[in-house]
Amino acid sequence: MTIFLQSLISGILIGGVYALIGIGLTIIFGVMRVINFAHGDLLMLGMYATYFLFTLLGVDPFVSIVFTIPLMFLYGGVLQKVFINRILNSLPQNQILLTIGLGLIMSNAVMLAFTSDYKILTTSYSSGSVDILGISVSQPLVISFVITAAITALLYWFLLKTDTGQAIRATAQDREAAQLMGINVKRMSIIAFGLGASLAGTAGALISPTYYIFPQVGSSFTLKAFVITVLGGMGSIVGATLGGILIGIAESIGGVYLGSGWKEVIVFVLFLLVLLFKPSGLMGKSNA
Amino acid sequence: MKNRLTALALSLCVATPGLAQATQVKLGFVNSITGPEAPIGENLTNGVALALEDLKKKGIDVELIKEDDTGKPEKSMAAFEKMATRDKVAGVVGPYSSKCANAVAKLAEKYKTPLLIPVASKEEITRQNLKWTFRLSATTNDYANILLDMATSLGKPKTIAIINENTDFGTSGARSAKAFATKRGISVVAEEAYSPGAPDYRSTLSKIKSKKPDLVFMISYVADAILLMRQSREIGITPQAFLGAGAGFSVAQFAKEKEISNYVFSSTQWTGDVNWPGAKEFNSRYKAKFGKEPTYHASTAYASMIIMAETAAKEAGNQEKMRNELKTGHWNGIMGEVTFRDYDGYTNQNKHQMLVEQVQNGVHETVYPTRYTSRKPIYPFPGWKK
Repeated sequence: MTIFLQSLISGILIGGVYALIGIGLTIIFGVMRVINFAHGDLLMLGMYATYFLFTLLGVDPFVSIVFTIPLMFLYGGVLQKVFINRILNSLPQNQILLTIGLGLIMSNAVMLAFTSDYKILTTSYSSGSVDILGISVSQPLVISFVITAAITALLYWFLLKTDTGQAIRATAQDREAAQLMGINVKRMSIIAFGLGASLAGTAGALISPTYYIFPQVGSSFTLKAFVITVLGGMGSIVGATLGGILIGIAESIGGVYLGSGWKEVIVFVLFLLVLLFKPSGLMGKSNA
Repeated sequence: MKNRLTALALSLCVATPGLAQATQVKLGFVNSITGPEAPIGENLTNGVALALEDLKKKGIDVELIKEDDTGKPEKSMAAFEKMATRDKVAGVVGPYSSKCANAVAKLAEKYKTPLLIPVASKEEITRQNLKWTFRLSATTNDYANILLDMATSLGKPKTIAIINENTDFGTSGARSAKAFATKRGISVVAEEAYSPGAPDYRSTLSKIKSKKPDLVFMISYVADAILLMRQSREIGITPQAFLGAGAGFSVAQFAKEKEISNYVFSSTQWTGDVNWPGAKEFNSRYKAKFGKEPTYHASTAYASMIIMAETAAKEAGNQEKMRNELKTGHWNGIMGEVTFRDYDGYTNQNKHQMLVEQVQNGVHETVYPTRYTSRKPIYPFPGWKK
């Protein structure tokens, strides 16, 4: 029982970070219908930013998101303005090639600048844990989960209550109609990509105290983000939140009861089942 | 005797480089320059760079064709085919990882090009009766064997838990650890294979904690080693000893994480303070040139390149003769004695002596076998510092 609870809790905690990655990808897809294959690399940039803020300036990784978020927002906005906006109306495969290309440039530029060495961020709490009824709960994971929850709540509020948020949602629903209503869809796209990038960067910052950092770290997260987004329903934020936590739990519990090598099988079987029986994803509306 | 004479002649040439004319040889080097194994690949690259310097001093000019396999077997196969057919190299050193080396070994047979694998340690690679594949390093079997040897000589462990990544290197290591443990009457209470790169091993580790093993044996590459130890501390696993099978546990970066790496044992092919000819000099030269501690990957790559280039130079690139020379030759250098022999089902395998090192105060110290060192191992594990 302890083992079950232990794995459930670490699953939920790690799932929170997955959700953050998924939400970023889903916002970008929702607004622009572009699948951002550079998403993991944006996360990687967030990790490096956190690493250098910590080692050079002594900024705590969790505090560093105050700098990472605006920085990544700007970066994402520039990417959108300079590159992605040009291909919004072209073939999907061209869009995919562009984002993959951007990702490759990012990871290789980082490798050139900082070498492929693994960077490890060691804080006083990196391997700290709190004991609750015989279950050891990782300190850094709890903190990052709380931050994730706060950011997600803030994002919901932004999208539901503010004018800009509503304009973004309108653009996601129907780009042309939104444009006809006087919404500056290009600007919305820039904001959306900026948001997506800063969420990915934040996720990177949040996992860096417990994970390791290297230029190619992004690719596995891109795949994970993609699975989460599709699982939850492309473009659905609630879906991505749910998908992220679901995958966190599936990995963790699958790892215990079927062996660690099998946990990816569980994730992908789950993924296939959802695609088979609900092709639009858990929260997705079928595209007419 | 003939060998001795040629060796003598060769060393005379070394002694008087001015007299000997520079011999040109063309060799290939497949390595993981990018990709997830790149941090280890860099060690091989640097080791080879030092070897080229030394070869030049000996009057052997190596034209080196370098290819990056990004850690993928198909890429290393393509690289080898290109080298063997288009570049027409005399011999190839590499690739780094077991999965790549195993794929390339069969191609060496096809193109009749001598292949010297510096450090990939999956047993099967030299167990397929391949005539053109040679291996300098010891095999995964030996990684597990020396550690269990040491553990049983220091204490009386009854149970062992095995955690390995589900790659060629990981699974073959786990298999031999299991076999050796059973042979010594240690029962295996948990076996966990994980896929590398996951951020969370806590569930696996808490399962292992509940089994209370005396020994925890891990086979992982660089970063996962740190992650596993961090999360072991978090979960509070306290066995008699943590044993790490080389790779991720024997790099300086791991040792530097004192909080989690102190007292961890790891088996290794080479250390900077071992008393093999030239090892200490190699260590200090490497540090001076690259600003880092060399790992055993660097020294195996160095020794492999030297052997391959000397052989190619001696036989003027004739591949059939090179194969004979490798098979019968004898070298003694920073990796100790090297001979490629057939034994225990192996073909062209160097019977390399493994060492055990332990992290003590953030530094790797050679602690076993005792005849190679003066340091004492600390056993059992004294527990986590709060």
